[in-house]
Amino acid sequence: MSWGVALQAVATGLAQGAVYGLVALGFTLCYRLVRVLDFAHGDLIVGATFVSVLATVGTTPVLRSPSAGVAVAQVAVALLIGAALGAVLYLAAVRPFRSEVGWVAATVTAGLVVREAVGLVFTREAYAVADPLHLPTRLLSLPGGGRLSVRVLAVLGIALAVGVLVERLLVRSRLGKAMRAVADDRDSAALMGIPTDRVVLVAFAVAGVLAGVAGLLSAPAGPVTVSGGVVLGLKGVAAALLGRLGSARGALAGGLALGVVEALAVSSTWLGPSYRDVLALAVLVVVLAARPEGLRSRVA
Amino acid sequence: MSTVDLARDLYLLLAALGLNLAVGYAGQPVLGQGAFVAVGAYGTLLLAAHLPLGLAVLAAVVGAGVLGWVVDFGASRLRGAFLALGTWALAWLAVAVLAAFPGTFGGEQGLLRDAPSVLESPALGLSWRLTPRWHLLFAALLCVGLVSVTRALGRGPLGLDLAALRQGPEAAASVGVRGAALRRTTLALAAAAGALAGAGTAVLLGVVAPSSVAPLLSIQLFVAVLIGGTANPYGPIVGVGLILLLPDQGRGVGLLTALLLVAALALRDPVRSRLPRLRLPARKPRPRQGGVYVPGPPPEGEAVLEARGLRKRYGGLPALDGVDLTLRAGEVHALLGPNGSGKTTLLRVLAGAVRPDEGTVTVAGRDVTALGQEGRVRAGVARTFQDTVLFPELTVRQHAEVGSRALVPAGTWRPLLGVPSARRDWMTVRALASEHLADLDPDALPSALPYGEQRILQVLRAAATGAACLLLDEPAAGMSAAETARLAALLRDLAGNGHAVLVVEHNVRFVAAVADTATVLASGRVLAQGTVDEVRADPAVREAYLGRSA
Repeated sequence: MSWGVALQAVATGLAQGAVYGLVALGFTLCYRLVRVLDFAHGDLIVGATFVSVLATVGTTPVLRSPSAGVAVAQVAVALLIGAALGAVLYLAAVRPFRSEVGWVAATVTAGLVVREAVGLVFTREAYAVADPLHLPTRLLSLPGGGRLSVRVLAVLGIALAVGVLVERLLVRSRLGKAMRAVADDRDSAALMGIPTDRVVLVAFAVAGVLAGVAGLLSAPAGPVTVSGGVVLGLKGVAAALLGRLGSARGALAGGLALGVVEALAVSSTWLGPSYRDVLALAVLVVVLAARPEGLRSRVA
Repeated sequence: MSTVDLARDLYLLLAALGLNLAVGYAGQPVLGQGAFVAVGAYGTLLLAAHLPLGLAVLAAVVGAGVLGWVVDFGASRLRGAFLALGTWALAWLAVAVLAAFPGTFGGEQGLLRDAPSVLESPALGLSWRLTPRWHLLFAALLCVGLVSVTRALGRGPLGLDLAALRQGPEAAASVGVRGAALRRTTLALAAAAGALAGAGTAVLLGVVAPSSVAPLLSIQLFVAVLIGGTANPYGPIVGVGLILLLPDQGRGVGLLTALLLVAALALRDPVRSRLPRLRLPARKPRPRQGGVYVPGPPPEGEAVLEARGLRKRYGGLPALDGVDLTLRAGEVHALLGPNGSGKTTLLRVLAGAVRPDEGTVTVAGRDVTALGQEGRVRAGVARTFQDTVLFPELTVRQHAEVGSRALVPAGTWRPLLGVPSARRDWMTVRALASEHLADLDPDALPSALPYGEQRILQVLRAAATGAACLLLDEPAAGMSAAETARLAALLRDLAGNGHAVLVVEHNVRFVAAVADTATVLASGRVLAQGTVDEVRADPAVREAYLGRSA
């Protein structure tokens, strides 16, 4: 691989990885608060993306950049639907279940319901979604002969900014402190007057918003399929597990690392584009078999 | 319905029956049976190009079994949800691999097998054409065989181990049930059965495509087993029957599957509580002479367990700071100390639940520091818990039997094969267990016992392991005076039988009544050690308990 190609791969990988990081951040946040692995997390992305397209463009999206008004509406709907789906997921599939097999099955069911419901309306194999954010797609020439779309840098910037903002808010804000208290000891937090149930609900909504952002940033990059959300969600889980499950910074860093490794593998002559999904899923299976709570977990 | 359809449905049932071992019996949420079916189907068709068909099937099935064993490796040490996630990821990985390498796996169209399905062995001069009828017979035999093996397993000693594992993994480990090995083995068997089902279907139809091994199949098989109920060998027949009622194609299938999953979950407990309880058939246990290893208690006064220089830190805070302790046969040793002095940590280190940072633990001269809980039980150390941790759906007798399993080297799979010696060993287990029931009602469930008897049952379960050394964490906690007296008598009996008993206790009067010797811990160090009277008279102990001015 030439230097130019490598540079291009690293840049695209970082952008894609920042998006994985947002997915991972939402997943890890929910896990930290209620120790629940959310099997429907990837389907929040699909739900938010497709509903926002449906609400603003209809079921036959055309690859023409939407007008400013439509674009704003699409972004707003995606984030709102993301938040709403996250909250509903908590209320319907997590909160009612005390037993583990209960919430595992319920979140799997929730994901299935989202996929099937979206699939009833969007019946085609794959869709092309226009970019509501109007990110520029001009190509830059990189030293060494690589070429890079400005959009990649914009996606990287936005995703990183959102991720770091949320991470900082978790550390600094009152709500973030309440979340940490709930994560450490839910009963004690409740005794201290923290409305724990509402805090958890907000966390799931935040995870949904992050999924919405991830959808907005990644959907225009290529064909979008109804079941593709699961794979994107599982890649987010893999990213979260590259750090320590429950760590926000670990999730963002894990996302970037996974994105770069994936992009390098895909552009290498050794592995090639076939490995785009295979590599991340294999990493996930291996990490779960070896260190289920993450590579940097204290409990092996 | 044609023969081909029926044979295919029976192969689907085979995959569900296999999954039942991992889900219904070992209580593991496995969401990736479809991946193992894919390994069997694709593996067989790919390998059959180079190998005889029989060998190809065998290789694919063994490969899937190994994969199942490996996937369960880490997840079995933690909570089941991680295994669910890992197997779910595996289901999607299988589909991703099939899509990524169309050259090998034929892409959307899948693989075709044009060769006639003939099992042949030139060496034996055999050539056997596999018609759909033969498939039907073969699949039916496999299903019947698997159901009867599962049924035998559920009734035998392994079924008891699995029930204990489902109902209380921690308590099961404390009496020597090899939980991790059982989980891995059941998942490996489930995977092998899934692969066999996949191989059979692929050879029967002569084709396999990604759509037939999609993640939805994994969910459907999971639902089928869930509908069948816990530890029910026939359950998957009902579950698969319901799944087969779903339409073959189209968007509705997923929604209906989701609906079934929710229904199965919501109805599981109410339905189970209305079913008559399945009991192990009550056979009269016969004691057996000779042939089985029963550790006789060591002579009185001999050191059974010795701990030297134990240190354990939690996040920089020393919980144990160089503790020495000796437990002798025939003695009740009390472990005293203020809250947070390291009593429970010491007990956990001795029981093998926590590995010490430094120091050694030897039992009867053998270094057991590196052994986990299950290994320590076999080496002769069993424990109880501060809370009452029992198996809610096992009777008093079964509690003792789970414990006694550690005594008899019955093996894991011998009981299944109906080996006579395994059956005799099982009888011995039951006879041994019944000696430990004291005066508790052997057929009562724990919930039917008064609180004090529940605490006593916990001690009896540990004693039934035959461990020379019993570690009891606050056995008298919350007991009335009468119950405490009963417990004290039991502990004296156990010591009289040659057990070394360690009691973590706050109640000084109880300690004075039951213990011979005592150790007082403070901040992870030994403050005083000796006979109970010596320790009580020790000024340092009085100061630690009553303050300087006293």
